[in-house]
Amino acid sequence: MEPSQPTPPVELILRAQRGEPDAQRELILAYQHRVAGFVYAIIGRSDSIEDIAQLIFIKMVRAIDRLQAPAQFESWLFRLARNTCIDHLRRQKLRRIFTPFAPEHENVPEPSGAVGSEELDALRHALDQLRPQDRALLALVQEGRSHAEIAVTLRSSVAAVKARLHRAREHLREHYQSPHEN
Amino acid sequence: MKTETRAWEQLQRHASAQLRPGFADRVVRAARAGAEAVPSLLSIFAVSGATAALCLLAVTLFNTTSRDTDESDFNLAGWQQIAADSEEFAVNL
Repeated sequence: MEPSQPTPPVELILRAQRGEPDAQRELILAYQHRVAGFVYAIIGRSDSIEDIAQLIFIKMVRAIDRLQAPAQFESWLFRLARNTCIDHLRRQKLRRIFTPFAPEHENVPEPSGAVGSEELDALRHALDQLRPQDRALLALVQEGRSHAEIAVTLRSSVAAVKARLHRAREHLREHYQSPHEN
Repeated sequence: MKTETRAWEQLQRHASAQLRPGFADRVVRAARAGAEAVPSLLSIFAVSGATAALCLLAVTLFNTTSRDTDESDFNLAGWQQIAADSEEFAVNL
């Protein structure tokens, strides 16, 4: 994923908080690609990216006036994104319990080669084996977030983040088979 | 560059490509349209209050009407009894 980009000016966030559509639009433009990547890393399905990203940004627009510290905007946005993705996966799981089985009801993973290179397929396969919370953690690291920032995003301690990240990386390494290694 | 890093970059590029042009405009429009469509807490309470008042009125009306009917039946029965007694009295005379 792209390394972390500079935080948007506080003035832009304040304008968005006042309900100015241009400022809200600018914020979305600044973050849409990063949020899309983040969503894909957690959800693992291309066809859901736009819908979930849209949901995240709608929540952002509606709740931004309640953000107390504009300087914490990024942590707040990625927490919103993470929670939305995890809620989506939970709802999907619940829906599968109450829906009579049919092949189209199952969350069929995207077939290998459907979305890109072997490298990407290998990463997607490895991410699929991880818990959504761990996928979110790794996606935040790829976003260029520091341990302290991730701790703020996840409302956890830096030590806990480091420990969880270590485990998540180990799991990813276990399942990630680079195509060049085969 | 490490293979894994390259894979993450491809993942990011692939995900970005899934957003159709005009994404930001659509989101802002949807957020505004949705905010207007969502009823306020006050209006929700007002509708609930009005519904409860209507229900109470309906129950009261029904109760009053049925009590009136009961009373009429009771009075009618009383008058019928009096009429029967009068008839009996007239026959005995």
